Amino acid sequence: MDFSWLSDPFYQEYLWQGFVNTLWLLLVSAVGGQLLAVGVALARLRGPRPLAWFAAAFSSVIRGTPLLVQLFFFYYGVGHLLEGVPGLRETWIWPLMRDPFFFGAVTFICSVGAYSGEVIRGAMLSVPPGELEAGRAFGLSGRQVLVRLWLPRAIQLCLPTLTGEMILLLKSIPLVSTIALMDLLQAANIIRDETFLVYEPLLLIAGIYLATTVVLTATLRLVEINFPGMRPRSRRWLPVR
Amino acid sequence: MTSSSRTFSQHTSLSSPNAPAVSAHNLTKRFGDLNVLKGVSLAVPEGSVTSIIGASGSGKSTLLRCMNLLERPDQGELAIADEAIRFTRNPQGDITGLDRGQLQRLRAKVAMVFQQFNLWPHLTVLGNVIEAPMRVKNRSRKEAVALGEHYLERVGMADRRDAYPAFLSGGQQQRVAIARALAMEPRILLFDEPTSALDPERVNEVLGVIRGLADEGRTMLMVTHEMHFAREVSDQLVYLDKGYIAAEGSPDEVFDDPCCQRFVAPAA
Ligand SMILES: Nc1ncnc2c1ncn2[C@@H]1O[C@H](COP(=O)(O)OP(=O)(O)O)[C@@H](O)[C@H]1O
Ligand SMILES: [Mg+2]
Repeated sequence: MDFSWLSDPFYQEYLWQGFVNTLWLLLVSAVGGQLLAVGVALARLRGPRPLAWFAAAFSSVIRGTPLLVQLFFFYYGVGHLLEGVPGLRETWIWPLMRDPFFFGAVTFICSVGAYSGEVIRGAMLSVPPGELEAGRAFGLSGRQVLVRLWLPRAIQLCLPTLTGEMILLLKSIPLVSTIALMDLLQAANIIRDETFLVYEPLLLIAGIYLATTVVLTATLRLVEINFPGMRPRSRRWLPVR
Repeated sequence: MTSSSRTFSQHTSLSSPNAPAVSAHNLTKRFGDLNVLKGVSLAVPEGSVTSIIGASGSGKSTLLRCMNLLERPDQGELAIADEAIRFTRNPQGDITGLDRGQLQRLRAKVAMVFQQFNLWPHLTVLGNVIEAPMRVKNRSRKEAVALGEHYLERVGMADRRDAYPAFLSGGQQQRVAIARALAMEPRILLFDEPTSALDPERVNEVLGVIRGLADEGRTMLMVTHEMHFAREVSDQLVYLDKGYIAAEGSPDEVFDDPCCQRFVAPAA
């Protein structure tokens, strides 16, 4: 085992860059993806017919095709198409469109949106109808019932599944090394190419992934147990009488 | 005492100054081919307690749910808390006679307690109680909390205001549900078998709260299988049989009525 390359500031810089990009991509995709997921679930359950149909088709396509194919599709296919759009080169979006980070984020947001969208839809359907009926009976509007009761309750029900999706997302991120984005795997690839060491860089990033997963799991677990309704949360929650 | 025509003659004027709090005339409701309510008329005077009894499946819940429009009657007239609604069908066959504003106003004045409590599990006890006053009656959080604490005190649940419903017993949950209804300061309280989902040893704590409300002179319409209780607290009893009112009147009259003898005999 030869880890002497670790003292090289260039490689340290690659690894740090890779780590930061991985976390950024995780954060952007998780937040954007979950928002999209709520949209997909709502469109399927409550949207007008064409929108519901579109959302269902979106979920089927995204869930029925490999993530790597989607990544290439967005990066090479859509990216290439965008180059042909007249006037786009002059706008502020253009630099964004040249960035592999943008296409990586779009791909993962779609993926999380489709998978979590189905989870949230299922959870919304399993909220006991009486709870929503109680909301209506007290005069809450349809929107209030949705925002105050239905969605929070559905998310409470499927939270462990959603956090599980985030762990899976973290481990899908190395795919972006194929579109020249400097993530952890890409950093390891560069180090391998220059030092001719195969295992050591991989071992190192595997260790980083494992540590990140452990921290992420613990953090999400905290979110789960602190979600409203999941534990007593009362200063005096033991029976008083 | 057994015909509904007599009752109707008492409340033909739907909006006179001292009209009953609830006045239903000839309500019908069907689910597909199933006729659940076959022309039910009913009046609940202000400040009185009416209990609806009857076998399972006779349409008691459906009748109660018509009172806050959780079910929309196919036909008939309903005057409840100063909102008068006449249900008819337009040529397309849709039920008409109700606008959104009216629905909202009516529901703000009629509060319901459910058999299964239906508390909101992601909100604390206090959160459950202040939700509708804040969102529907536009009370400030401060007002709503004061109101909520008052009514939680009233049902003996003030010390659990920060707990979540899942950590309460059934009886406690139902008492919170009653506080949630009271916090709307409704004109009429509806109860749908409020003790049927409770362990036997928890029934009395809830009946005690309801009895207290009856003694306060609140207007209540209640579906119950607790015959002794119904006889004790009700000013009026309605015996519903297969979608018709088969007997109505004072508790004693109804309990003695031959057509409901068989139903109430074991309890009476
Ligand atoms: N939403 C519904 N759709 C179809 N049938 C219903 C619905 N609600 C109630 N019913 C039927 O109407 C009848 C009366 O129900 P309900 O009013 O709940 O009776 P009760 O409360 O007296 O037991 C039952 O046969 C029930 O199956
Ligand atoms: Mg019932």
